[in-house]
Amino acid sequence: MDELDLPQMKKEVESLKYQLAFKREKSSKTVTDLVKWIEDGVPEDPFLNPELMKSNPWVEKGKCILL
Amino acid sequence: MGEMEELRKEAESLKDQITAARKTVQDTTLQEAAAGITAVGRVQLKTRKTLRGHLAKIYAMHWGADSTLCVSASQDGKLIVWDSITTNKVNAIPLKSSWVMTCAYAPSGNLVACGGLDNMCSIYNLKGKDGNVKVMRELAAHTGYLSCCRFLSDTEIITSSGDCTCVLWDIETGTEKTIFAGHLGDCMSLAVSPDFKFFISGACDFTAKLWDIREAQCRQTFSGHESDINAIGFFPNGNAVITGSDDATCKLYDLRADQELNTYQDSSIMCGVTSLAPSVSGRLLLAGYDDFNVNIWDTLKSERVGVLAGHDNRVSCIGVSSDGMACCTGSWDSFLKIWN
Repeated sequence: MDELDLPQMKKEVESLKYQLAFKREKSSKTVTDLVKWIEDGVPEDPFLNPELMKSNPWVEKGKCILL
Repeated sequence: MGEMEELRKEAESLKDQITAARKTVQDTTLQEAAAGITAVGRVQLKTRKTLRGHLAKIYAMHWGADSTLCVSASQDGKLIVWDSITTNKVNAIPLKSSWVMTCAYAPSGNLVACGGLDNMCSIYNLKGKDGNVKVMRELAAHTGYLSCCRFLSDTEIITSSGDCTCVLWDIETGTEKTIFAGHLGDCMSLAVSPDFKFFISGACDFTAKLWDIREAQCRQTFSGHESDINAIGFFPNGNAVITGSDDATCKLYDLRADQELNTYQDSSIMCGVTSLAPSVSGRLLLAGYDDFNVNIWDTLKSERVGVLAGHDNRVSCIGVSSDGMACCTGSWDSFLKIWN
């Protein structure tokens, strides 16, 4: 990893100030929202619902295809 | 000397304040929030297609927005655009430099890009008038290898480089619009947020950084990994970030609370993560490893729920189509496989 020179160190400090100022939300809200978003999406996730893959374009239906 | 020492102290103090600010908002964990949720059962995906044609290691692949076409890059010096359903090669583009490390498909489907040890990002127009695919632009300014690139549109692309920076380019003029500097090690991977306002970069300084594209600032830095971050991705809703590292783990970071939420690891896995992609709901995390396999993780319960075994060498790249119907893996064994 690189060592910083003076101008880079100044930029790093400026960046850290900007990062500190970020408005963090409470985990109890954000994590609950995330878990809910995932759960809401699970029924539409093809990898978790075989019925959604009934018409799977990557599986050939018959032996012959029309060119 | 004095000024440097003062700046160092200030930086350390700011980092401590950020750590404290993160603790203040940490009033729950993912484990607690997901405690009542049933674990996902065994996930078994089958190889539906094998895309054959490359003659050397495949280093990168990217799905087109239509969930049918995809582009792959190999050190045989070719970029191939595939119809993943018919396995036909739509385009086979010879590259000036065979040392390619990344490729990308523009959301419009009109352009593809690639780059690598030539330190450049080359843009190709797939829809040229005479039907020939030609280099449209060569974006040159990085002083290190091109590790990753992603289009924002047909006129803007973001690149990450071994020179420790990421750059936003104006494709028309071929010039750098913004340089995102701050990482202390090679930038290995990048991903753009679903709303195109942010991007994240993973680097060899073991951190991931979230960048505000228009403000040109690093908004958040995520630590925790104990080695190079090779792969990075946005959670489908844009509110979380997933990273994959040489430390053999994947991590989930919450952007809104600025916290590390989870680590996906197993004592039996001792090799690096090369690539990753979430499923469309975000419930599954598919990650490619150096041991030739892809492990499928339940993101909420942290359990491994499946394995995609089928490649005869390292899985170097992975992608889930935007409709969530298929996963594509690319390998050093020169093949791409489509799974669902």
